[in-house]
Amino acid sequence: MQIRYKPKRNWLAMLFQTEILQGMALTLRRLFSRPITRQYPEEKPQIKTGFRGQHALVRDPRTGLTKCIGCMRCAVVCPSRCIRIRSHKMKEEWNRRVIDDYRIEALRCVYCGFCEEVCPVNAIVLTEIFEYGAYDRQALFFNMEQLLGNWDRFAARMNHPVEEYVNPFWRPRGLPEQNLPAAKRMPVSAEWSGDQQVVGKKWRQHHGSEQSCQGGVDV
Amino acid sequence: MNVIIMLLQIVVLFILVMLHVAYATYFERKIIGHMQVRMGPMRVGWHGLLQPIADGIKSFFKEDIIPEQADRPTFLAAPIICLVAMMTSLSVLPFAKGWVLADINIGLLFIFAMSSLASYGVVLAGWASNSKFSFLGGLRSMAQVISYEIAMGLSLVGVMLLSGSLNLSRIVEAQGSSVLGMYLLPQCIGFFVFFIAMLAETNRVPFDLPEAETELVSGYCTEYSGMRYAIFFMAEYIGMMVMASIGTICFLGGWNGPFAVPLFPPLWFVLKVYLFMFLFIWIRATLPRYRYDQLMDLGWKLLIPLALVNIVLTACIKAMVG
Repeated sequence: MQIRYKPKRNWLAMLFQTEILQGMALTLRRLFSRPITRQYPEEKPQIKTGFRGQHALVRDPRTGLTKCIGCMRCAVVCPSRCIRIRSHKMKEEWNRRVIDDYRIEALRCVYCGFCEEVCPVNAIVLTEIFEYGAYDRQALFFNMEQLLGNWDRFAARMNHPVEEYVNPFWRPRGLPEQNLPAAKRMPVSAEWSGDQQVVGKKWRQHHGSEQSCQGGVDV
Repeated sequence: MNVIIMLLQIVVLFILVMLHVAYATYFERKIIGHMQVRMGPMRVGWHGLLQPIADGIKSFFKEDIIPEQADRPTFLAAPIICLVAMMTSLSVLPFAKGWVLADINIGLLFIFAMSSLASYGVVLAGWASNSKFSFLGGLRSMAQVISYEIAMGLSLVGVMLLSGSLNLSRIVEAQGSSVLGMYLLPQCIGFFVFFIAMLAETNRVPFDLPEAETELVSGYCTEYSGMRYAIFFMAEYIGMMVMASIGTICFLGGWNGPFAVPLFPPLWFVLKVYLFMFLFIWIRATLPRYRYDQLMDLGWKLLIPLALVNIVLTACIKAMVG
């Protein structure tokens, strides 16, 4: 293949610099198109299902405490090592593990969502809340009470009942049903499970219609 | 008594021009923003309308840093030279019939002299800052001046020939009030050369080589801060306005329009000037920067010969017709 860097122009195009005029026409057309800017604090972005935001520990409706069983899978899988769990065995109750503390350093977290994927009891979740900046670091080192509190705040914001909440990341994608722990065999919408899962290029095609009506840029 | 009235007029013009400069920056940011599918300033006031005032207050209270190794007197003088030269050219511009501070017979020549002086400000700033970026900026400004001043002067010779005067009011009157009377059509080559030279003269994109944001980190004003930086900005925008006014006066028929406006005679003049300003901004939003050698090429090999051809043609036609 031969690349011609300077396309041949006839003398008329040369004289009137049509290429510059084309460029000018393009910018003029853009002047009257709608800007794609989102005026952030006033206009919030539309959060899609599966958004990975602030961390929370799901509050078990039966006990009122965390569902965590102290298996340490999340702490092991975490790529940024930001999870610290402290637990002890309860001798009186058939060696049941009781969580003393569950800490997440939100400043180190990379929001990969591995912790929610590996958790066998769906105890940890990345909620859809994303505005939780703070002026001091201490406020972003979450301990167990704060994480449970995060869940309560998120649950209060939800429209549907808390019991029905299913985070798509709780069901690891691409695994057969029988390989999943009991708690994770939950119904997730088709686009989040199995072959129909919508990721990458497919996602953009899937949401193409919504995107275009938001932005209004015709490419 | 006359002196007091004159001073009053000067103060009014000064205030109006400063307001113009402030809102020209707003106009530019808004238009470029929308051309890039953004919004431009939106926060200060309704749609950012108070942004220029906030900017002004900010630059006024910013720390004025003078580099230790700088050539201090020159460093301090450079922005003032720029601003004074540009403001002085305002005095000979006829905004409407009789609306001119100094109706002198060498108006056009005076403006050439002053705009050349303004580039001295840029060159001196580049030299005095004692920084590589600034120095390169000053160097480029120098090269730009020698290749564009000539073309610009020559491009307006055609206008002088046709109108037979250097007085700006006389040039406007010579064009008459009809569209056909404008020198835009008979002097189309001159206008082409003038327009390009005008962009280069005001250091605007695509000829913003002295102040090349992307390669020279703002070139000659790298070391400037606070109010001095703002003064350079003012000089640039006043320069744009002066050059746009010259374009309006010499080619678009100045204050003449389809009908006379009773209360505000300079209306047509202002509209035409803003048309030029919009063109400046539009070009800035569209074109990339010329390379140093391409600019010299364009100046010496295209614009100067074209301007000379224009002079000869105009003179011949005038001699034959007149």
